[in-house]
Amino acid sequence: MKYVDEYRDAELGRALSTEIAAAVEPGRHYKIMEVCGGHTHAIYKYGIDDLLPPNVELVHGPGCPVCVIPMGRVDDGIALAREPGVIFTCFGDMLRIPGSSESLQDAKAGGADVRMVYSPLDALRIARSEPDRHVVFFAIGFETTAPSTALTLKRAKAEGIENFSVMCSHVTIVPPLKALLESPDLRLDGFVGPGHVATIVGARPFEFIPADYGKPVVISGFEPLDVLQSILMILRQIGSGDARVENQYKRVVPHEGNQRALEALAEVFVLRPHFEWRGLGFISQSALALSEAYAEFDSERRFVVPGVRVADPKACQCGEVLKGVIKPWECKVFGTACTPEHAIGTCMVSPEGACAAYYNYGRFAREKQVV
Amino acid sequence: MTHGPVCITCGDVAVPMRVVATGGEDGLAHCVTEEGDAAQVDVALVDDVAVGDAVLVHACVAIQRLEREAA
Repeated sequence: MKYVDEYRDAELGRALSTEIAAAVEPGRHYKIMEVCGGHTHAIYKYGIDDLLPPNVELVHGPGCPVCVIPMGRVDDGIALAREPGVIFTCFGDMLRIPGSSESLQDAKAGGADVRMVYSPLDALRIARSEPDRHVVFFAIGFETTAPSTALTLKRAKAEGIENFSVMCSHVTIVPPLKALLESPDLRLDGFVGPGHVATIVGARPFEFIPADYGKPVVISGFEPLDVLQSILMILRQIGSGDARVENQYKRVVPHEGNQRALEALAEVFVLRPHFEWRGLGFISQSALALSEAYAEFDSERRFVVPGVRVADPKACQCGEVLKGVIKPWECKVFGTACTPEHAIGTCMVSPEGACAAYYNYGRFAREKQVV
Repeated sequence: MTHGPVCITCGDVAVPMRVVATGGEDGLAHCVTEEGDAAQVDVALVDDVAVGDAVLVHACVAIQRLEREAA
């Protein structure tokens, strides 16, 4: 496939692997965080970590929007789904995320009208075709996904649709990165930057990482050669004592981002004063709510949302996995009580979650190492 | 649009698609992947989209045009 095959060439991959081995200082340990769940998925799927020298460690970041949704937010969604006359719509992966007592999928089995959609535009289409019902869309995702919610709401407003609202749980990537950089239990040497978030927001929002913390950031594509090349660029920056934002994914990411998307986001959303992240706790200005101009489409204003706060289950160590403090297999319940079929934690539910990615692609390699 | 085992919210599923018709239902563009999966895509975020263009699509929204020479 064009735009894809040329970034999966095995020969080029091996050549990059050799260059990476030559770029590291023996005896030095490198910790590089891939921020985005899409990168985590690619790393495990293509075995990219097997192509790296043993002293280059990849740490998985908080960039899976499903994984960072706290249990209480799921409970709030279920409460809305149970409202009479409501059709509750969400992306497929949210269906299986455990709330404190059940998931949206369980609520659906119990009679709530919960439907999976691929886009908020699908949810709006349902609202048009079912004017007697109220359609709630559970909006999650980083800056890559928020524009689709913004465009949908602009359409709903222009069409004067009254039976559609959004339970806005969109999050932003920079505040959790700041929180991680401030975290005393994590020493990172550089970041593989999120390519598709940067397609929207551009490279500038990441400039504080080299400027304030002296760490390199390389905005990366999602194919195996993209990720390998980005790791090489990070190691070369470290080797030269340099730290800046570089763009490996130039074929897609413009330095300034997508201005039209940013304008749509600015019109439809405002920053929430704070938002709870699973495992990371409350982070200020880290999520989006609907602006006053779109208040009529805000599910949280149209319905009484319980605003549930639930502590994460004790056995679950998703928080430490999301912060990169432990590896998925170091969690007490990984692969035993917590599997993709019966997940306790969010990181095991979403395919981009570090635990699910590791469970699906990496666990056999780990068993091999242990033996 | 099928995404295999990959979660739709993730940046990983920004899928390259080809525009085959514009101005469809609600002004959406009809786009297909190379595998033949089709979707109605909102192209409001990309300038002057024409039939034949390749775009990167996330949650049924084109977030960027893919330039031929850059591929």
